[in-house]
Amino acid sequence: MAVTLRSPGWYRAALSTLIGAAFGCGLVVGLRALFGWDEIVQAESIVSVVLITAPLGFLYGIGCFDYWIHWAAGRPTYVDDHSDHGARSWKDYFRVNTDHKVIGIQYVVTTFFFFFVGGLLAMTFRAELIEPGRQFIDAQTFNALFSAHAAFMIFTFMVPVFAGIANYVLPLMIGAPDMAFPRLNALSFWFLPVAGVLMMASFLAPGGAFATGWTAYAPLSDQAPMGQTFFAVAVQFAGASSIATAINFLVTIVTMRAPGMTFWRMPMLAWANFATSLLVVLATPFIAGSQFMILFDRALGMNFFDAVQGGDSVMYQHVFWFYSHPAVYIMVLPGFGIISEVISTHARKPIFGYRMMAFSLLAIVVLGFSVWAHHMFVASMQDWIRIPMMFTTMLIAVPTGVKIFSWLGTMWRGAIHLRVPMMWALGFITMFVLGGISGVMVAVVPFDIHVSDTYFIVAHFHYVLFGGSMFTIFAGIYHWFPKMTGRMLNDTLGKWHFWLTFIFFNLTFGPMHLVGLEGMPRRVADYASEFAAWNAIMSFASFALGLSTLIFVYNVIVSWRSGKPAESNPWRAQTLEWQISSPPPIFNFDEVPTVVGHPYEYGVPGARHGIFKHPEPLAAAKAPVPAGVGDDD
Amino acid sequence: MEASTAHAESHGHMPVANASVEFNREKLGMLLFIFSEVMLFASFFTAYFFIRVVQGGEWMPAGQELPVGVAFANSAILFSSSATMHWALEGVRHNNRKALKAGLVLTILLGATFLGVQISEYAHLGFLPKDSAQATAFFSLTGLHGTHVAVGLIILCVVARRAFKGHYGPEKDKHWGVEIPGIYWHFVDVMWFFVFTSLYLL
Repeated sequence: MAVTLRSPGWYRAALSTLIGAAFGCGLVVGLRALFGWDEIVQAESIVSVVLITAPLGFLYGIGCFDYWIHWAAGRPTYVDDHSDHGARSWKDYFRVNTDHKVIGIQYVVTTFFFFFVGGLLAMTFRAELIEPGRQFIDAQTFNALFSAHAAFMIFTFMVPVFAGIANYVLPLMIGAPDMAFPRLNALSFWFLPVAGVLMMASFLAPGGAFATGWTAYAPLSDQAPMGQTFFAVAVQFAGASSIATAINFLVTIVTMRAPGMTFWRMPMLAWANFATSLLVVLATPFIAGSQFMILFDRALGMNFFDAVQGGDSVMYQHVFWFYSHPAVYIMVLPGFGIISEVISTHARKPIFGYRMMAFSLLAIVVLGFSVWAHHMFVASMQDWIRIPMMFTTMLIAVPTGVKIFSWLGTMWRGAIHLRVPMMWALGFITMFVLGGISGVMVAVVPFDIHVSDTYFIVAHFHYVLFGGSMFTIFAGIYHWFPKMTGRMLNDTLGKWHFWLTFIFFNLTFGPMHLVGLEGMPRRVADYASEFAAWNAIMSFASFALGLSTLIFVYNVIVSWRSGKPAESNPWRAQTLEWQISSPPPIFNFDEVPTVVGHPYEYGVPGARHGIFKHPEPLAAAKAPVPAGVGDDD
Repeated sequence: MEASTAHAESHGHMPVANASVEFNREKLGMLLFIFSEVMLFASFFTAYFFIRVVQGGEWMPAGQELPVGVAFANSAILFSSSATMHWALEGVRHNNRKALKAGLVLTILLGATFLGVQISEYAHLGFLPKDSAQATAFFSLTGLHGTHVAVGLIILCVVARRAFKGHYGPEKDKHWGVEIPGIYWHFVDVMWFFVFTSLYLL
C-alpha cells in the first residue's frame, strides 16, 4: 500500500486530494486567525480556496506534475522520457498519458460524458416546460438546470471536444511524432474532468447549483448562493485547459511540420486549429479575469461590481463577452476545418479556394474581437457602441459566407459519396446557414431589442451550436473513428442516427423561432398558455433527440469492440494520417514523411501529398527548406 | 518514474520531429503564454478603466492616498532586477559561471525585496480592498502582479539551484533554461511599468 501511495495513480490522487483540501482549509483559517479577523471560519472564502487546492492535490496525485517536480528538485530527468506514452489496455486511459493519441481519446470520451450530462439536464427542464405552470421543479432549480446545461455544454463539451479531435488528428496530419509539449498536453486534459466534477459538485452546495445562467452576470452572481463559487473555479480550470492546449497546438503547428509542409500545404484542419488557438490564447484570459473578479467580490468583499462603492456592473458584461463572443468561434472554427476535410475527401475534389479558406479563418479571428457588445444591445451601455458593433457583426458574415460558398464550390461536380460523415457535413451546411442568417437578423439593433431574451435567441444559438458545431463533431467522429480505433462504425446505424437527429433537432429548435418572435421569454420556468402546444411539441422532440444519441453510443461501443476492421485508408484520403496504419503505430511515423504536394489533389492523376522515402535520411531536416517559414513570424 | 519499466518493451524510438522553423519550441511557448498573460492583465485594466474613467470617481478617494515615493523606489528595485537577469544570461552565454550565479542571486534578492516592500506597503496603507472600488482596482492589479513576481521568484530559485549544481552552458541549446525564465521575468518587469504608471502616476 505504501508503494501504491507513493507512485502516481488513483490511490495517491485520493490521498492528495484530501491533503489539498485540508491544506486549503488550514491556510484560510490560519491566515484569518493571524490577522485577527472577526469571523475566523468563513465558509465562502474556505470553499473558494479549497476548490482550488483540492483539485491541485488531485492533479499532483494522479501524476501530472511528477516530471516537473523531479526537474525542479534537480533530480536527473530525460527530456524524451516516453514512459507515459501509449495505451495497451483500457486501464491506461485512466492514467496520465503523454501520447497525443491517448489524450485525444481521453478528451473525446470525457467530453461526451459531459455532453450526456448536459443533455439530461436539458431534457429535465424540457419536461418541466411540457405544459404551463409548475410541474415538478421549482423556479430556482429550473434556473440551476438551464445554467448547468449551458455550462456543461460550453466549457466541458463544445470547447474541449474539438481540442480532443485535433489532439488525435493534428500531429498525424502535419507529420509530427507528438505534440510539442506532451506533458503539458496531459495536464490540459486532466484539468477538464476537474472542471466538470466541480460543476457537478455544485448541485450539492448549500443553496443549490449556480443558477445565474452560464453568463453569471454580476451583481447577481456576487450575491448568489455558494454554488456560484463552484462555477467560477470550474471555469478557471476549463480555461487553463484550453489556453495550455492552444499554446501546444500553435507551437506544434509552427515548429513541427514535416519537411516540405509549408503553411500553404497544410490540411485545412490544421489551419482551423491554428486560427482557433490564436483566439483561445488571446480571448480566454478575459473569462478568467471576469471569474476572478467574481471570486474576489464574493470571498474578499471587493467592489468590482458594486455601484454604491464606485464599481461598474456593465463592466462585467464587457469583460465576459470579450471572451465569450470569440468563444463562439472557438466552438465552430475547428468544425469548419473538419467539414473542409470531410467534404473534400468524400466529394473527391480539391478544396475550392483553399487560400481564401485560410484567409477567411484569420479574418474571423480578427473580426471576432470587434463584435462583443452585440450581446449587450439592451444592457445599459453607451449608445454609440451599438451601431459600430452592428456593422462589424454583419461584416463577419462575409468571411463565413466565403466558407459556405467554398464548401458548395468544392462539392460542385464532385463525385459525392454519400457516406455518413458526408451526410453530417451536408446537414451542417444547411443548419448552419439557418443559424447564421438568424445571426445576421439579431445583429440588427432594432430587431435584437425586439427578440432579446426570447426563445428566438435560444433558437439562433442552438442552430449555430447544435446544427453547426455538433454536426461537425459527429462528422469528425464518423470520419476519423476508423483511424482512432481501427474499426469501422456501422453504416446503417450511422444513417439512422443522422436522420433521427436531423429531424428531431429541427422539431426541437425550429419552433423556438416562432414562439420567440411571439415573445416567449427564455430562462423562465413558466410561460403563457398560448405557447402550450408548441412547447409540448418541442419537449417531446427534445426527448426523441436525446434518445437518438443512444443509437450513436450503441454504435460506438459495439463497433469499437467488434466492428469491421478498418483499412489504413478507408476513404482514400490524401492527408498524412491516412497513410499509416489504423490505429497508428505508437510513435505515429517510423520515419517522418516528406510532403511534396497539396493535401487535396483528388482527381489529379499521380498527385501525391506525402512520401515516405527520403533520398538522404540525414539531410531530411535541412534539405527541403519549407517555404512557409516566412509565414510564421 | 517507476512506470518506465512497466512500459519498457513498447518503446520503439520516437523519430526526431522535423524542425520546420529555426525557433526554439519552449521559447515560442513562453511567448504565447505571455500573450495570454498580457490579456489577463488587460481584463483587470478594463476593470480599472471602468472604475476610474467610466464611473469617474475620484482617484484615489480621500483618506486612501497611495505612497508614490515608496512605490517609485520599489519600481527602481524591480527594474534593476531585469538588468541583473540579463547579466546572468550573458554570463552563461559567454561561459562566465560567476556572472550567471551572481546575476541570478541578485535578481532573486531584488525581486524578493520588491515583494517584501509591496507587502509592507499593503500593511501600512490603512485601507482594505473592500473599502472602495478604487481600492479594489488597486489591490487586484498590484496583487495580480505580485503573484506573478512570486511565481517568477520560485522559477528563478529552481534555475539558481541548477546553476549552482553546474547545469547550463554556453552552447546554443544548453541555456534556454535560463533564457526562458528570463523572458518571463522581463515580462513581469514591463508589466509593472504599466501597473505603476496607471495606478500611482496618472
